[in-house]
This record gives sequence, structure tokens and C-alpha cells, in this order.
Amino acid sequence: MSLTFSLAHLMGGVILLAAFSLLSQRRLAAMITLYQVQALVLSAAAFWQGYAQGEANLYLTGLITLIIKALILPLSLREIVLRFNLMRAVETAMPVAVSMVLGVALIGVAVLVVLPTTPGNISLTREDLAIALSVVLLGLLMMTTRRGALAQIIGFLSTENGLVLAAIGMPGMPFVAEFSVALLVLLAFLVVGVFLFRIREHFDSLDLSGLEQIERRGR
Amino acid sequence: MFGLPGAGMQVRLDPLSVLFLVLLAPQMVAGALAGEARSPTYWLFALGMVLAVVAASAFTLIFGFELMSAASWLLVLKGDQKPATLYVGIAIFSAACLVPALFLPASSLAFVLIVLGAGAKAGLAPLHSWLPKAHPAPPAGVSALMSGGMIKVALSVIIREGFMTLSAAQQPWWGGVLIAAGVASVFIGALRAMLETEMKVLLACSTVEHAGLIAVGLGLALRAKAMGDANLTALGLEGALLCALAHALYKPLLFIGAGEVKHATGTASLDWLGGLMRSMPRLSGLMLLAASGMAALPLGPGFAPEFLILHAALAAAGTGGIVARIGFSALLAVLGLSAALALGAAVKLMGVGFLGRPRSLQAAAAEEPRGLALAGMALLGGLMVPLALVPAEILRLMAPVVRELAPNAGYAPLGYAPLPLLGLGLVVAVAAGFVLHRFGVRGTRAAPGWMCGFGQPPVWLPFGDPATQPTATGLAEPVARAIGRGVLPGGADPAELFVLAPLYRVHLKGVRLAEKLRRATIRERLAFIFSALVLFLLTLGLLGGG
Repeated sequence: MSLTFSLAHLMGGVILLAAFSLLSQRRLAAMITLYQVQALVLSAAAFWQGYAQGEANLYLTGLITLIIKALILPLSLREIVLRFNLMRAVETAMPVAVSMVLGVALIGVAVLVVLPTTPGNISLTREDLAIALSVVLLGLLMMTTRRGALAQIIGFLSTENGLVLAAIGMPGMPFVAEFSVALLVLLAFLVVGVFLFRIREHFDSLDLSGLEQIERRGR
Repeated sequence: MFGLPGAGMQVRLDPLSVLFLVLLAPQMVAGALAGEARSPTYWLFALGMVLAVVAASAFTLIFGFELMSAASWLLVLKGDQKPATLYVGIAIFSAACLVPALFLPASSLAFVLIVLGAGAKAGLAPLHSWLPKAHPAPPAGVSALMSGGMIKVALSVIIREGFMTLSAAQQPWWGGVLIAAGVASVFIGALRAMLETEMKVLLACSTVEHAGLIAVGLGLALRAKAMGDANLTALGLEGALLCALAHALYKPLLFIGAGEVKHATGTASLDWLGGLMRSMPRLSGLMLLAASGMAALPLGPGFAPEFLILHAALAAAGTGGIVARIGFSALLAVLGLSAALALGAAVKLMGVGFLGRPRSLQAAAAEEPRGLALAGMALLGGLMVPLALVPAEILRLMAPVVRELAPNAGYAPLGYAPLPLLGLGLVVAVAAGFVLHRFGVRGTRAAPGWMCGFGQPPVWLPFGDPATQPTATGLAEPVARAIGRGVLPGGADPAELFVLAPLYRVHLKGVRLAEKLRRATIRERLAFIFSALVLFLLTLGLLGGG
């Protein structure tokens, strides 16, 4: 039992670490790699939870995560970078150091929220939940502090990873939720891909600051 | 009809609502006769007022009140757009105060909200500066009903809530609040009425004064009721209700008359009128009667209520601690000054507008108005006669209202009897005439001619230039120099400088902020939602941990 705990915590920690390094990365290629690592660890965590809880559903979740998030998504993101010949450096809206300080604060917030509000539950779930919430918040922070569209998409995907982490940590969570979440991500990816094509057609760039200028002038 | 599902609309006819219906009916008829009979909005406005007066439930009251506000807004919009915008702002403010207040339990907060909401609608200072702008804007019949009726409806809400619904929690300082707001409006209204040169604006300013006077009477009664002084309660209530009744007769008459003058001459500015007494004798006679009420002259309809309110203030000055005594003495002084200013305003209205020689061709060629409008004015004028001559009988008729509002109140007899006074005056006049006739000096004597207020006639106009007569501005100049310039810096109402202007600045800031939010980029909006989420989580964590 204690091995279950420590291994689950370890994997959660690695996912959190990946989310945190995503925040500090300035290069697009490295961000995609980090996201891939995060998704891989997530699928491993899903398999491990499936083994520990004896749930066949979780194996399926792990498989979906492995195929869609750890393989298809990073590959196609790299494809996009190549096809569009994107700037490989990510433009940030605030200094990286500041966003990392904010990230640490957000982890504090997550711990502050989860630990006192769920005193009755077993410690595994509680700490897992805190980690998952931190990953979600860090992904959101990344979406707000990055200017490039692709970096924002990676932030969104990282947020979604946090959600799945929370879902697999909960014993008795219905499988449907995870499946729909995965589908949602795929759909979002498709939509965003189309969106990127459109932006690219109009502005020859995926930098959203051009779009912001148009918005300002238009109104 | 309409109403809350399951509850419907509840109305009642108790003495108070009957009194206010009686007070509203003649002016509605007169307003309709003055040319509003075919306007559906006018009747909607009237219906709203009736509903607000007879309402027995909070919902009905708000429905009627807001119907009244909305319909009158449309009517003001017919006249002019700018005051209509100001007016609708005030209407929204008063709704925002009234709606929560009516559903609050009886408490001081509810009373303050009621006074703010209904007081803004009644034109009590410091929320009165919209009234001299909005009331003159619509056609005369509507102005009449707004001035004579709408502010009464607002005051009736204060009466009903302050004396009946909230009486469980009443405090003496509630009355103090009403007195303070009332005396400020009395003073500022009378002063502005004295200084204005436009007839309808002058009348609207005078409406502010009379709304303040009614509020002073109500405040005195409310304070006395909370302190258990039965006599003073009756005195203040009688004064306030009688003042409301009298004002509901003469102010609509004056407004309709001003509208007819504008119709006949093309202007309502006193500086372009004059000599109307000769060309429109019947209208001028009715206006004179109403102006005597506005000025609270003895033997006029406005004297008895002001007499009662001053009496109540005198009686209140004899009670309470040293601060209350000094305060009520100061109140008396301000009321006296304002009565003098109101008299000045009435003299200016009649003297400059209706006496002397016409200052323009249009004024010289004015004709008596249509029969219908004159009939409406005559109705109001006729109803004023009993109020002027037998006020004591009318007070006796109003006794049930006073008892309903203050069950323990006594009956304060009116120490003023116009009929014997009239008889005495007649005896003195006849005797003086007789003495003059019998013992007067016969024969003629040459003396320099009284120029009727004219300046020295220029040589090319041997019979005098009408433009050299004193104008309304000139008549008001001494008052303007003595107190006007100090109280009204630059001619602007202090309420505009200290209430409306800061509100306008706050509004501008709010609009800029909203515009900034609207122009936010996608990333900024994301950041906004994100920080809201984090704030929420932080609150949850801190509260849950503590």
C-alpha cells in the first residue's frame, strides 16, 4: 500500500515539475517535449492507478492518454511548427522569473484550498488533488503569460492534463468523464488548428499581438 | 389585472388614500382640459399615480410608482431631451432606493432609503436640482400634474411608510432628517423662484419650496410622534396635509396659466411680457388668486397651512434640549425668510408679467385662452375658495386621516378664522372710506406725475418706452446681491455643483473602466477570469482553514 502511495506521489510530482518547467521554457520545441514527458508520466500514472485500484477503465484512460496526448498531439504540434516555419522562441508577456514566482504562489494557493477543505478523505487523494489543482492553475497561468498562440495551446493542454490527473486519483470516478475530456481536447485541438490556419492566412504570423492591434483599431 | 402571480394587485381605500385621490382628481381634470385629454401617456401617468396612492401591497406601490415615472418620462421627452435624461436618471435612483426599502423590515435603514428614494422624486434638497429643469419641459397640462400631483404621490409614500408601515421602529431623528431636507429645499426653492425670470421655471422652483414646506410639517409631526407629543403631532400633520391640498390646487392652476400665456404670446419669459391683465382679464384674475396662495397671503388658500406649520415649529421650539430649541428657532427664521422670498416671487410673477405695459407686440396682442383650459383653471380656482375662507371645516374633514396616521394625536384647533377677519377688514375699509368722503380735503392740486415705475421717457417716445419698465431680473437684483450670489455661486444651484457634478465624474470614470474592459485583448480577458478564479480559491482556502 505504501508503495502505491509513494509511486503515485512521485508521478504526480513529476507531472507538476513538468508543468513548472513549461512555465520557465522560452523555446517552443522544448515546450512540446516537456508536454510529451508530462503526458507520458500521466499515462504511466493512469496505468499504475488502474493496477492499484483494480480498475480496467483506468488502463483504457492510460492508453488514450498515451496515444493521443503523448504521441499524436506532440507530433502534430511539431508538424505545425515545421509547416508554418514558426518563430522558435516564445514571447512572454511578463518576465519568466516573475511568472515563476507567481507559479510558486499558485501552488501555495492550491495546497491551501485542498488540504483544509477535505479533512475526512484519505491522504493519498488529498495530496493528489492538491498536485492536480496546482497543475491546472499553472497551465492557466501559462495561457495568460504567453503571447504566441501555440504556447497558449500547450498551456491549455497542460491544464487538461491536470484535470485527468485529478480524475484518475479519485477512486470510483466514472470512465465517461475522462473519455469526454480526452475527446474535448482533441476537438479543441482541431478547432485551434483550423484557427491557426486562418490566422496564418491573414497575418503571415501566429503572433497574436497583430490580432490585438487589429482589434484595437477596429473598435 | 396585473400583479404578482398568486397575489395579484391589492388596493385599499383608507382615509389617507382618499385624501390623496381627492387631491389628485381636480388637477387631473384640469390637466386633461388643458389639452392632454387625447394623450394616452397622460392617462397612463394618471393611472400610475392613482395606483401608487391606493396601493395596499409593496408590489402594487412599486408598480404604480414606476408606471408614473416611466409615463412622465415619456411626457418630458416630448418637451426636451436633455432634462428627460436627467429625469430618468433620478427616477432610476429613486427606484433603486425604494424597491429594497419596501421589502426591508421596519428599521432606520428602510426609512433613510425611503426618504432618499421618494425625496428625490418629490424634489427635496439636495436631490432637487432636476426639478426646475424637468418640470417646465413638457406641455403645461403635464407640468401641472407633475408639479401638483407627482411630488404629492412621492410625499404620500413617505407619509405612509414613515407614519404607518415603519412606525414600530420610529426614532425622533427621523423627523429631524425630514426637517433638515425640507428646510433646505424651502430656502433654496424660494430663493431660486425669486431669481428666475422664466415663468414655468419660477413655478417649478416654488414647487421645490412647497415640497420642502410639507416635508418640514411632516418632520415636525414625525419627531413629535416618536417623542409622544400628541398635540404637536396633530399640528404638524394638519399643516403638512393642508399644505399638500392647497398646493395641489394653486400650482396646477399657475402652470396651466403659464402654458396658456406661452401659447398666446409665444414666450413665458417675464421680461417679454407685461400688461396681460388688460388683454387676458379672466386668466389673470385666476392667476392672481393662485399667486396669492403661492405667496401664502392672508385670506388666500396658502395662508392657513403655512400658519399651522409655523405654529408647529414654534411649539417644537419650546420642547427638547438647548440644541433643539436653538435649531427650531433657526428653522423659524429660515421659514420666515423663505416666506418673504416666496412673496417676492409671486409679486414678481404678477407685477412684471401681468401689470404694467406690454414689453412686446405679442404680449400686447394676447387673447383670452380657449374656453376648455379656462374652465379647468376655473374649477381649480373655485375649489380654492372654500380652502381660503373656511380652512377650519376642511381640517375637521381631514381629522380621520390624522387619526389614522397618529392614533393618539389630539385635534389642534386652527387659530385663524378668515371669515371674521374678512368682515373686520370690510368694516375698516367702509369706515375709512366714509371718513375720507366726509372729512377729506376737496379741491385739486398740481403734483409731479407718478411714472408707474417707468424711467424718464426719451424725447422720441413721449408716452414712455415699455422697455424702461423694471424687468424681472431688475426686480430680483437686490435679492441677488444680498443673498443670491453667495448661496448660488455663478447662478448655479449648489446641488448641481456638489451632488450632480461629482456623480457625473464618477459616471465618467465608470464608463471609461467599462470601455477598457470591453477593449481588453483575449489574453487580458483570460488573465481577468484567471485572477478571479484564484481570488475565489484563495478566499475559499482562507475561510475554510479558519
